Amino acid sequence: MPSEAIDPAGISWIRVSPKSITVELIGWLISSVIALAVLSAPLVLMLVGVWPGFPAWLAWLLSVGTLVICVWSGLLIPRQVRAIGYAERDEDLLIRRGLFFQRVMVVPYGRMQYVDVGVGPLQRAFGLCSVKLHTASPQTNASIPGVPAAEGARLREQLSDRGQARLAGL
Amino acid sequence: MTIPGSTGQDPLHGQGPDTSGEVVPASQGVPLIPDTTGTWHRVHPVSPLVRGWIALAAIAYFFGRDWFEAVFRGDEFWGLSGGRALWTVLIVVVVVLLLVAGFFLSWWYTRYQVTDDHVRVNSGVLFRQHRQARLDRVQAIDVIQPLLARIFGLAELKFEVADAGESAVRLAYLPLASAQELRATILARAAGLTSEPGHAQEPVPEAPEQQILAVPGSRIVGAALLSGTTVFLAIMLIAAGVSTFVFDAAFGPALLVPAAFGVAAGYWSTFSTGYNFRAAVSPDGIRLRYGLLETRAQTVPPGRVQAVEIMQSPLWRFKGWYRMRVNVAGYGVSTENSGARTTLLPVGTRQEVMQMLALVLPDPGTDDPFAVFTAGLDGIAATDQNDGGASDGGFVTSPRRVRWLSWLTWRRNGFAVTGTALLARSGRLWRSLAVVPHERTQSIALHQGPLGRRLRVADLRLHTTTGPVTPVVYQIDADTARRLFDEQAARAAAARRRSLPERWLEARPESTPEPSSGPEPEAAAGRPDGQYGPQQNGPPTEQESRHGGQH
Repeated sequence: MPSEAIDPAGISWIRVSPKSITVELIGWLISSVIALAVLSAPLVLMLVGVWPGFPAWLAWLLSVGTLVICVWSGLLIPRQVRAIGYAERDEDLLIRRGLFFQRVMVVPYGRMQYVDVGVGPLQRAFGLCSVKLHTASPQTNASIPGVPAAEGARLREQLSDRGQARLAGL
Repeated sequence: MTIPGSTGQDPLHGQGPDTSGEVVPASQGVPLIPDTTGTWHRVHPVSPLVRGWIALAAIAYFFGRDWFEAVFRGDEFWGLSGGRALWTVLIVVVVVLLLVAGFFLSWWYTRYQVTDDHVRVNSGVLFRQHRQARLDRVQAIDVIQPLLARIFGLAELKFEVADAGESAVRLAYLPLASAQELRATILARAAGLTSEPGHAQEPVPEAPEQQILAVPGSRIVGAALLSGTTVFLAIMLIAAGVSTFVFDAAFGPALLVPAAFGVAAGYWSTFSTGYNFRAAVSPDGIRLRYGLLETRAQTVPPGRVQAVEIMQSPLWRFKGWYRMRVNVAGYGVSTENSGARTTLLPVGTRQEVMQMLALVLPDPGTDDPFAVFTAGLDGIAATDQNDGGASDGGFVTSPRRVRWLSWLTWRRNGFAVTGTALLARSGRLWRSLAVVPHERTQSIALHQGPLGRRLRVADLRLHTTTGPVTPVVYQIDADTARRLFDEQAARAAAARRRSLPERWLEARPESTPEPSSGPEPEAAAGRPDGQYGPQQNGPPTEQESRHGGQH
């Protein structure tokens, strides 16, 4: 676990499902393959002689650079997913995420306007969902990806109930 | 859950104007008793013309110019030569008739009503739109008079609910007196005043207002001359001079003409929107009036300001001028009028800034607001700080160790907390002070990047509604930031429980944990001028200063 320098003290975070790592890795694999295919095209074209004028160093840099970035981001995914956490307190919900660029956010229940639960095709296959909280501020980017479906439903009901009880104006 | 009070199409409200009964023209005045669902009103019949005059002007220009040129040259007008004359005239007549018919239909199908709880507007000919907005969710209400509407004595009423400006309810156009009366009615109902049974026919009086400040025209001109437009102009002139005399290549008109237009437009928009700026206060909130050709009167009810920012650009420092902008839910990031709508004070002295702050934040929550806010506006911490971030006039600034990262601003970036608001100051050249009342905080986030982690600092961001103000406390000591994060969450929660009801003249519900200490709203004397003076007899309570007037 990375150093949690800015996390509030005494919070026991609920982590998202470990299956979320698999989901994220599959997504990462797909996007990496696409990125590699696109950005390696100059190299392939140059090597087969269709586009001989393309500077070789640039072609190699594009391909190898993409490969390095993809592998690096893939290696980070498990730790990034494990860094996501949330905690329900009496008055508000805490959400944390990030390894290098960490963020801890507090969303008061009374400020929530609505709660979104979204499921993508990959997430559905693994029985996961994403919970997103909306306040009147567009800057509140409070999403929890990779929550088990049952926990997501519970969270939605819980948050809605608490929001209703504490609803304040804007 | 949905956004409370949001407007939108209302499928359940099935009765369109076709099925509705009585329709009263706007010129007969505004309903003083709540409308029954059968009563609808129409806007003024001239309105479509005022809105659509550009189309008519375009037709007149298109045909008129050709005709005029033909006459001038002595040629025969192409349209009127031979047997085509009849057709041309016919086409023009048909187009004009179609436009007029369109105008008439759009006017005929636009109806509105004001009930005890809602404003409803039905509009559209082919695509009908039924829009209703809850009165107690009103965030702001504008009376706008474009130039042509002023000539006809008409005004547009714009009613904002919290939806980032996407779904304002607009009534265009009403006679000015009707618009003002309707505004008073809406504000009175939104405030929680119900019409008494016996006095239902009496008009709702406009809440008494008291002018706080007026910005003189000369200062608007000065502000425009000292704005960024001038900097741009100077850079342009220098570039032109260098290019002409050093490289012997004069700028062509292709470059100079657009630049000149840009400069002129910049000066013009600053001047025309800031012209005749006046601010007043009434029990219904802050009222701002401004405009040269198009005049606006904005009303922001109490407790609707989500955040304030006071800024000073480097050139304004010589004159000691500041500019204030606000976040009000519903205004959004208005590009309309180049952001004039979100401007609380286009250019003002420190004294005037304090006066406006007193309106927005009636209870500063500190014993010496003048000193705290002055430190926020102009203060800069001493260089010899300890590592925890020193205290400068109540402001906790960045610790000394970040001076390598932000060598210019580390003594300026900081925050202060009063009993009612969080103050975040930043910027050395472009100074800025953001003020967020505790009860208006939406959510709070703490950010830390790799550099920040090495230096043990973090940024605290306060999230507020869409608008020009984004309050951020930059680079404060990580432990301080964490403490502030926790405390601020608790303070915001406590302030929310204490905060005013949405209907601002209604008594508070009995169940609130902290009973109001202020006098009854009706009995409270107006004390809107709670100035942030250097000496004060104690801050006015929220109740007193917000519930002023004998409404």
